Amino acid sequence: MPEHAAHAPDAGLILSARGLVKSYGKGRAVDGVDLDIPERAFTTLLGPSGCGKTTILRMIAGFETPDAGSLVLDGRPLKGVPPERRPVNTVFQSYALFPHLTVFENVAFSLTLRRGAGDPSPRVKRALDAVHMGDFGARYPHQLSGGQQQRVAVARAIVAEPHMLLLDEPLSALDRKMRGHLQIELKDLQRRLGIAFVYVTHDQDEAFALSDIVVVMNKGRIVQKADPLTLYARPASAFVADFIGAASLVPGKIVAMRRTAMSATATLDTPLGIVEAPVAEGLESGAAAMLVIRPEHLQVSTAPSALRAQVQHVVFRGDRFLIEAESHGCLLRVMSDTALDPGTAIGLDLDRARAFITQVEG
Amino acid sequence: MPFSRVHLAFPVALALVLGCVLPLGLLLVFSVFTVDMDAFDMVPDLSGHSWGQILSDPVFAFLIGKAVVSGLVTAGLAAIVGYPLALAMARLPLVWKGVANIVLLTPLYTGEIVRIYAWRIVLGSEGLVNAVLKGLGLIDAPLKFLLFSPFTTHLVLLYNNLPFMVLAIWISVELVDTRLIEAARDLGARPVEAFTKVILPLTTPGLAVGLFAVFALAAGDMLTPSLLGGTSGATPMAMIDNLFGTAFDWPLASALALALLAVLFGCATLMAGLLLRLRGARAVFEGRRT
Repeated sequence: MPEHAAHAPDAGLILSARGLVKSYGKGRAVDGVDLDIPERAFTTLLGPSGCGKTTILRMIAGFETPDAGSLVLDGRPLKGVPPERRPVNTVFQSYALFPHLTVFENVAFSLTLRRGAGDPSPRVKRALDAVHMGDFGARYPHQLSGGQQQRVAVARAIVAEPHMLLLDEPLSALDRKMRGHLQIELKDLQRRLGIAFVYVTHDQDEAFALSDIVVVMNKGRIVQKADPLTLYARPASAFVADFIGAASLVPGKIVAMRRTAMSATATLDTPLGIVEAPVAEGLESGAAAMLVIRPEHLQVSTAPSALRAQVQHVVFRGDRFLIEAESHGCLLRVMSDTALDPGTAIGLDLDRARAFITQVEG
Repeated sequence: MPFSRVHLAFPVALALVLGCVLPLGLLLVFSVFTVDMDAFDMVPDLSGHSWGQILSDPVFAFLIGKAVVSGLVTAGLAAIVGYPLALAMARLPLVWKGVANIVLLTPLYTGEIVRIYAWRIVLGSEGLVNAVLKGLGLIDAPLKFLLFSPFTTHLVLLYNNLPFMVLAIWISVELVDTRLIEAARDLGARPVEAFTKVILPLTTPGLAVGLFAVFALAAGDMLTPSLLGGTSGATPMAMIDNLFGTAFDWPLASALALALLAVLFGCATLMAGLLLRLRGARAVFEGRRT
């Protein structure tokens, strides 16, 4: 699907971060991050909890001061600029709606702070309509469901037309179905508003569903920044491959490299045998590397050439079964139409052309 | 509420009600008795004489009104001084919160009489403040209003009762979700606006508790006005003390005590009524979480 590429930014950058560092106590939450956020795109910071993604968002919003490094928004350095004077707004994980104000007053909050801004009603109404909450202006936040509260939080954050919207795991408190609905609405809203969204999540499904660009973080650093398709097919490291999708990771050693102008492939010696596959940047012959195999690139097979494996676990996934099988000391994940009993000996066919060789560390 | 244990409060509630209602009932009975001045004894002859005195002699209304004003002024000042202190305390690291608490309560550990005489030393004509001002050449003659004036009374009432205001507001500030303050700032509110539009409304319950406590304590104080207020130091409490003791007019003392109580009750009710009309207070008392 070239759709993601089509939405990739053709415009300039709205935000650049250089050398961001933030420590809490002994730990470094953010450890030297360079990040460019393009205008009009949906950028997601993805990573496990504690990887520093929320800290970056909070530094952009102005709630945290970087220990080192710079942030430039719209060509203006953000150093020393308090949150109220930054042209960004935040949608909080906990919604953070004002409990003593009605929905209308919550959304009008930023507008009523500015003297001489005129009647906020039309803009509040437009913002509430944009999130399908036009009829709820007179209610109080506690009278709304979680999903409705989150819609109001979004309306409140967009009503003053920020240059950039920051969203901190806004859907994580909602049930799966509501999350799916709101994902579609958020994506739709971002396209209509045409402003940059910076979204923080630990949920890779959510990142894929929403993003033009996904920035994968681990231990305070950026591990990879790419569109979702690239991220899935060509993870820059074993960490990315493992964090995104149910990959099988097989360690090995590169015995040969072949580079052309368009691509690079490597020959990897693994416990499963010799595999030739596309290779990530920065790897050389002789280096230890990791073979990434997606479940859909393995098939249960009876061919004599198939890898011999033994079923360990079977997980029902609704449409199919995820089989975890052991082969030559490696754990392989494969989808199957039928349930297989643990202990069963099976053959596995690997689509070598679609496997990928990546960095062990990162 | 599935885990309601309201009945557990009954024994204590009963004790409180009896401990309050019985003496008040006694006061009510006394207030309609008469004093036999010859026998110097109170006799159970029913009479509205004492209540008539309370209603007709303006000195009683004046004293009660003065107590109410003192209470309101002290409570108001305590709120103004208390908010910055409470906000600062809420931002301290945990250990320093404990230290601040102890420091805040230190005045309460010393006896009231000790504090009052300490203030006399500080504020007197030859006192610390005047000596310093004189030494600096700012004044030629000692400032007389520093001691034995309404200024002194209210300064010391404020000092004595401030901890109750600060503690109440502080707890309330601690309970405000910091993300709400961040949200306000994020939406363009300067720190002052974040205070007036979010922190103040959501801490009105703490403010109210502080106002009730300081109002009652200051309006009912007798020692501070009489020992530091000079000629302005007359209070209904001192009058009641006098009537029960020296004058031996228990009916009038009882009537005055009840009248004072009724007025203070009225004020507190009015304050509570106003408070519950505030949306911030309702949001907190209803336990709204978003």
